[in-house]
Amino acid sequence: PDVRADDGDPAGDSWGIFTFLCAALCNLPALPALNCSEELGAGQSIQQTYDLTRYLEHQLRTLAGTYLNYLGPPFNEPDFNPPRMARAERVPSATVDLDLWRGLTDNARLAANYRAYSRLLCYLRVLDGQVGTAELRHRLSHFCASLQGLVLSIGGVMSSLGYPLPAGPVGPPGPPGASAAPNDFLKKMDDFWLLKELQTWLWRSAKDFNRLKKKVPPAVVTLRLEARGF
Amino acid sequence: PERGRAWEASGSRDHPGWEFPLLEGLCKTAAPPGFWGNLKFWNPAVISPQDPTLLIGSSLVATCTVSPDFPLKAEDLYWTLNGRRLPAASYAALGPSTLSVALARLNGSRQQSGDNLVCHSRDGGILAGSCLYVGCTTPEKPVNITCWSKNMKDLTCKWAPGTEGETFLHTNYTLKYKRRWYGQDNTCQEYHTAGTYSCHIPKDLALFTPYEIWVEASNRLGVAVSDVVMLDILDVVTTDPPSDVHVSRVGDLEDQLSVRWSSPPALKDFLFQAKYQIQYRVEDSSEWKVVDDVGNQTSCRLAGLRPGTVYFVQVRCNPFSIYGSKKAGIWSDWSNPTAASTPRSGENKFGAREPKPARQFFGWVKKHAYGCSNLGIKLYDQWRVWLQKSHKTRNQVGKEPFALLLPGWVGIGGENAGSPPTPGMLGG
Repeated sequence: PDVRADDGDPAGDSWGIFTFLCAALCNLPALPALNCSEELGAGQSIQQTYDLTRYLEHQLRTLAGTYLNYLGPPFNEPDFNPPRMARAERVPSATVDLDLWRGLTDNARLAANYRAYSRLLCYLRVLDGQVGTAELRHRLSHFCASLQGLVLSIGGVMSSLGYPLPAGPVGPPGPPGASAAPNDFLKKMDDFWLLKELQTWLWRSAKDFNRLKKKVPPAVVTLRLEARGF
Repeated sequence: PERGRAWEASGSRDHPGWEFPLLEGLCKTAAPPGFWGNLKFWNPAVISPQDPTLLIGSSLVATCTVSPDFPLKAEDLYWTLNGRRLPAASYAALGPSTLSVALARLNGSRQQSGDNLVCHSRDGGILAGSCLYVGCTTPEKPVNITCWSKNMKDLTCKWAPGTEGETFLHTNYTLKYKRRWYGQDNTCQEYHTAGTYSCHIPKDLALFTPYEIWVEASNRLGVAVSDVVMLDILDVVTTDPPSDVHVSRVGDLEDQLSVRWSSPPALKDFLFQAKYQIQYRVEDSSEWKVVDDVGNQTSCRLAGLRPGTVYFVQVRCNPFSIYGSKKAGIWSDWSNPTAASTPRSGENKFGAREPKPARQFFGWVKKHAYGCSNLGIKLYDQWRVWLQKSHKTRNQVGKEPFALLLPGWVGIGGENAGSPPTPGMLGG
């Protein structure tokens, strides 16, 4: 455990505090006044969320491969890069200015992830209802379940750190017909970009959670002693 | 992303100095940012026909017309079909900014989502696309519709497509049903519950009335309707597997196991004439042995088993004749396998070596006592007769006291394990 001692303490006092902390830790269940579970939990949740993004990234590779083959060439060609439809962003883009990204607060960082995946999940679910082949349906529903898990996991991290969950509509914006592509080919392009955006978000989230991990390591135990009369 | 590896490793792993994954790849688009910044829908060109449906072998002339806002002419355009560039010889300029392409003798669509016919600008950028759906025919009639109802509460039906072959076009199946003499057609909503070609109707089903059920298969070229199946829910009832399946040893008998179960709870009050089936196998074999003559008892004894072996046992139920239905009924799923082992040879009270008469009896029982008929007094008498006969022949050879008939085996039919002792049977 990371032992925090007040600045300027003589060495002897530091040892005393260290011993006390060790003793306290040993008696953790017997000391209800200790309030350390929140940040211990957050550290673990962040690690789990990070692991989940890596797992999803791996799953997406297979899903995208299958789906793009279903769309047919040129969509499944490795360097395919069609224009994006220039209308209001359906999903907040993962790409962001590097300095801006670095400067995000923990809350903003988590909220951006939460909002993005909630939206992406909605769009994926619509896709699930439309695809033709059984194999694709199966892969998509499996992926949606995992993605749902990720959204919940991020929500869990936010709660354990005391942040409120982002409010507001999570579904596809506007009436269902309005944002649908006007023809089948444009819909294919939409689907392509949805998967691409999903991939970029997963890459980015790994970095986001890595960063958060460094700020709240699982090993840190912050004992809130002041309110309990110690 | 690196060329050729768009869906592989992330950019940051290839550029260790980068803290942030790729920005460049996504920022590169086919045209500078302001190019169509004002458009509601991306629309540099229009293809006609848009997303047509065609028959295999037919021909098509498609046109690409560039929007007046764009500074492109017919000679700046080219076509691809499924990523392959179409020969310039098949092009014709129909106007200053309209290029057509002629496609002859089309093959069936390469993918069910449609062939991708794309109009490009000279630098490769995509201007418009159209999905071609080329198929051979309307679908075949779906066949073999079978339905079952779980506990009379719902109805699940499955069917088979008319042909298994390649159809090129996506076929959509709709299951419809209606009560025989009442007007309205209903459509089933929950598909793929029991395989690809299945649908589940969860509620609002009436008993004691015939239903008409059929499946419509449709693709972009047309519709095919299956034959109509008529059934009453009560004729196709199935239920849950029996619950609380217990398998236990029969005293020290090394070749028998006793199986007990409860009738499935959901139809408990209606199952006057249920029938059951048991299947069992040894642990390391995949061959199941089926016991068919269980009737509607809720217990059975398996005999003729191997000593010292682990067996897996499953039971299933057929709620036939529910409410007087004349039909055969539908077997439930098998219960989860329950395991039990027969005692090892010589595990009985009499030490390592089995006494001869007991072994003889077991051998006789193996041959004569199969199925679930209780080993009762009749069987015992039969055995005694047999033993006397064989004893007579043996007595001609050597002396073997009849009284060596040991009491151990008397446990048969007299104790625990579900089969109630019948009066007159020898007790322990």
